[in-house]
Amino acid sequence: MTTAVTRRRASKRTRREALIGAAYIAPSFVLMFIFTVIPIFLCIYYSFTKYDMTAAPEWIGFDNYVKLAANKYLGLTLTNTLQYVLITVPLQTILALLIAAFIAGSLRNRFGSFLRSVIFIPVIASLIASAAVWNVMYEPKGGLINQFLGLFGADPINFLGKKTTAMPSVAAVAIWKNTGYYMVMYYAGIMNVPADIQEAAIVDGASPWQRFRYITLPILKPITYMVVTMGIIGSFQVFDLVYKMTGGGPARATLTVAFMIYNYAIKDKRMGYACALAVGLLIVILLIHGIQNLFFREKEDA
Amino acid sequence: MERTKSWTPGRVLGTALVTLFALLCVLPLIYMVAISFTDSESLYIKLSDLRPNLSNYVYAITKRNFGTALKNSVITVVGSCLLVDVVSSMAAYGFEKKPVPGKEALFQGYLATMMIPGQVILIPMFLMMNRMHLTNTYAALILPMIGAFAILLMRQFMVAVPNELLEAAEIDGCGELRRFVTIVLPLVQPALITLTIFTFNSTWNNFLWPLIINTRSEMAVLPVTMSTLASNSTTNYGMVMAGATLTFLFPFVLYIFLQKQFVEGIALGGVKG
Repeated sequence: MTTAVTRRRASKRTRREALIGAAYIAPSFVLMFIFTVIPIFLCIYYSFTKYDMTAAPEWIGFDNYVKLAANKYLGLTLTNTLQYVLITVPLQTILALLIAAFIAGSLRNRFGSFLRSVIFIPVIASLIASAAVWNVMYEPKGGLINQFLGLFGADPINFLGKKTTAMPSVAAVAIWKNTGYYMVMYYAGIMNVPADIQEAAIVDGASPWQRFRYITLPILKPITYMVVTMGIIGSFQVFDLVYKMTGGGPARATLTVAFMIYNYAIKDKRMGYACALAVGLLIVILLIHGIQNLFFREKEDA
Repeated sequence: MERTKSWTPGRVLGTALVTLFALLCVLPLIYMVAISFTDSESLYIKLSDLRPNLSNYVYAITKRNFGTALKNSVITVVGSCLLVDVVSSMAAYGFEKKPVPGKEALFQGYLATMMIPGQVILIPMFLMMNRMHLTNTYAALILPMIGAFAILLMRQFMVAVPNELLEAAEIDGCGELRRFVTIVLPLVQPALITLTIFTFNSTWNNFLWPLIINTRSEMAVLPVTMSTLASNSTTNYGMVMAGATLTFLFPFVLYIFLQKQFVEGIALGGVKG
């Protein structure tokens, strides 16, 4: 009898606690549902429609995707975006790792922590302000970089105005801005490596490079995974820098997927078409993420 | 264990390279501030041009809408920080401390949204806000700022809140809401500071969404005003750099004072993710 009562009381209490818990979660659920979940499904729905905001969306099946596949700039845009990703992600990851490892290993003093603070500063600057500053840095006439190159007698380079240099110049700004962020992640990870492992390796006569290669690097693998994942997702969506620095030019040399989506949706009001492109971007990101997972798992087995 | 303090060639070279990189990190920003104080339209700055000359700032604020943009940015940032702090600490508490059926599945669902590129959400959200007549409002800028990352961050800190403490308070007759406000929130205060800074920075620097949703100039935030300023006056470098400096100034001052908290959220994302 008494146990049944306690159990009933306990289950009543659990139910009450569950309800209270649900109430705590509810506001986040409502906001996430309205501003994330619904838009994802709407985006997929709109991608099968023709919608210019003046009339109701009109169902056209796969027409947007067919047209997209035939879009003569799509290949170029994908190549540009991929070029940007392939410049930024490896360089910012390697730089962040090397700087973090060096400061943690050989410069663990006030100067080292000062350098860490300084390298983080670009992270807090807005991309638009950064773009404006770098536009001035890259100026062919009197920009700081060309002034510097001029000291060696080099002719001024129109960094953002030439097809070959425009995209790498934009990517350099992203690396400048992102390295500090990932450096902080790596540094925290290195600080978590138990000191006795390193000390045992030193006793065994391992060189700094061997310790980095065979101890630090494997332990940091989960962080590298995060850094690469975040880097890929972020880089594929590059917009602010392109918008402010090149506007997609010269001759579409810096036209990226996100910038193309913006143009179709906001400039041309071709909402359905832009949504199809956004869905395409999502698929590309998921595919690359899948490949990346395979790659990371394989290396784990080896 | 004695750490080797000797200056080996490797250590000297490494220090030099990292120092050089750090210099490259701040050089553009120093250049930005320097040009913002000149009134010349040339970039060949002479030291004599660099006298304290605030005319670019005065012009940007009074004539080019920077005052309004500053006000809009502050309102948006304060609103976003309050919303994100309240909603995500509540959610984290519910997820971590309450026996809600199916909560882990829901949490995984939240985390999955972090993979979705912003552009997928952007257009439908733009259309939804249009239909709800929320364009050119602060609500349009603030409401979408809640994201899975904030809830994840708060939940990681919520783990450390001892259950015994909450149970003891309950036995003492402390009500549910009072326990949350007087026990849980003070215990996760460091996390709230970290989260606030994180939200501050992402809201302050947000560009694409404010650009498309608040198209009236009196509702524009700093980066958007900054971007129109730069494109309308390509040759007046001083004024553009004054705008960039103003945009950069607030996060920078905050960073100087709350450096540790700035870095903490990011470090945590790596170690626990």
